[in-house]
Amino acid sequence: MNKYLGNKSALALFLLPALLLYSVILIYPVLQTVVRSFYDWDGLSTAAFSGFANYRELFNDPLLSTSLKNGLIFALVLAVFQIGLGTVLALVCANPRTRGRKLLKTAYFIPVVLSVTVVCQLWIAMYDPTNGLVNKLFGLLNIPYRQNWLSSPTQSIIAIAFVNAWQFMGYQFSLLYAGVKAVPEDYFEAATIDGCGKWRAHWHVTLPLMRETYKFCFTIAITSGIGAFVQMLIMTNGGPGTTNYTMTFMIYRYAFMESNYGYACAVSVLLVLISLVATVVINKVFDRGQNA
Amino acid sequence: MSPKTFRSIGHFLLQIPLWLYFVVSIYPLFWMISYSLKNNDEIFVTNPFGLPTHFRFENYVNAWTQFNIPRYFWNSFVVSIISTLFILLLALMFAFAVARMQWRFRSAVRTYMLVGMFMPLQVIMIPLALLVRDFHLTNTYGALIIPYIAIGLPFSTMVFYGFLVSIPREIEEAACIDGASIYRLFLGVILPLALPAIATIAIFQFLNNWNEFTLAYILISDENMKTLPLGLLFFQGSYSTDWGAMGAVMTIASLPMVLVYLLLSDQVERAMTVGSAVKG
Repeated sequence: MNKYLGNKSALALFLLPALLLYSVILIYPVLQTVVRSFYDWDGLSTAAFSGFANYRELFNDPLLSTSLKNGLIFALVLAVFQIGLGTVLALVCANPRTRGRKLLKTAYFIPVVLSVTVVCQLWIAMYDPTNGLVNKLFGLLNIPYRQNWLSSPTQSIIAIAFVNAWQFMGYQFSLLYAGVKAVPEDYFEAATIDGCGKWRAHWHVTLPLMRETYKFCFTIAITSGIGAFVQMLIMTNGGPGTTNYTMTFMIYRYAFMESNYGYACAVSVLLVLISLVATVVINKVFDRGQNA
Repeated sequence: MSPKTFRSIGHFLLQIPLWLYFVVSIYPLFWMISYSLKNNDEIFVTNPFGLPTHFRFENYVNAWTQFNIPRYFWNSFVVSIISTLFILLLALMFAFAVARMQWRFRSAVRTYMLVGMFMPLQVIMIPLALLVRDFHLTNTYGALIIPYIAIGLPFSTMVFYGFLVSIPREIEEAACIDGASIYRLFLGVILPLALPAIATIAIFQFLNNWNEFTLAYILISDENMKTLPLGLLFFQGSYSTDWGAMGAVMTIASLPMVLVYLLLSDQVERAMTVGSAVKG
């Protein structure tokens, strides 16, 4: 039997194509990025080793603080909107007495399958200062809050983050909904019989049992906030000026527009490190809650 | 009022946010479809919110004939189908070798493959672009298909692995006694058993590849090679005077995916959220 399942040529045939492609296209480039981040390199001529010069320069780059701040705002909008509102919607929707659950879930999920370009173009049209739906709606409701959404240096990042939050709400909602459903109903009932109000019962029973779901939801929200790119690119091209830069936007600009590859690699490495730290912190936070 | 009616009124009120968000989620799309059938005057002045009074299908004819939409569709289709098929095949073979076959380093190799799942795409962007350039693949289907396959592998192999290890061990004994070769075991026994997992991964990868933007943006510049998300990027500028046609372009681009989702909603949702079970 062991000989049968240890067939060397079959093993090679099954393993090698995936392993080779994975190593050449994914792992080797990761190593390249790390190594190149220590070089001064324009992508064509010979690279010159420069030690930590790229990193030193990076920490003095005003675009880095802009990018970090925007990444944080982006992540915050995603977390509050998708996870905060998503939790409330999931709790109400999971109540067996709620009607039209199938319809609601379908409607929430449709934006997820759309192309990000279509969604961004649609929201550019909706944010249009004179003809857009958003301003027209404020006008209709007589609320004096009309604005030039995408050209405001302070608000446009929130407006853009909202587009991402809107599109992927259905995704986070599905995860949260599944999380709520996975909590045994007896637990919740026991708490209400013990005199807990419904919301208190959810707060003390349902939500703590959804730890794994939240771990995943927050990881997705935070890392996609830090690495945001497409929405900035399509909706304002990083502008007005450089106010909407994110770290991925920096990588794109330094590598593909300014041919400063070594420096762009340093930004990539920092981005990965920050994502990694964020993931570890999220895990720690949710695991500590478990022991308390 | 009895406590019971009080409770049902309470629950009715609780459902209001659900339906409000229903409108927030759906109305922008309804708005897009309805303005794809209007002219500028109707969109801007006479009737911005409601259904079109007169259905201007000529917007669709204009959009389809004047612009490269059929080409973008074809490119997206070719790239998504080929990369999805290869992901399925390579990932299933790899998962079979790691989950069912007997050899020494299988857990090390599995861990090695697992690393890729946590790698942000941004970290490989630059070397990958240079790699594609050096292999003279820029502006070919290969520039997208090869990276898409590689990127799809870690996650797919993990899902297949999880599925394959749960199949009872006796399967191989039976196949061995029957004299089936290991290839026959893979194709004739394992592959049919794995069909549910294959369907899930197929949907997941097809959707991912169909909508992928960042790599396509970096690797493709030739108008004739652009995929749908990339091709649509420049419509805003060229259509700024004709919103109706722009709405038509966007509606055409969205329709296939929305239809697929409406037909297979449960499978699509399961496919898209399967990641939480594996990564979490």
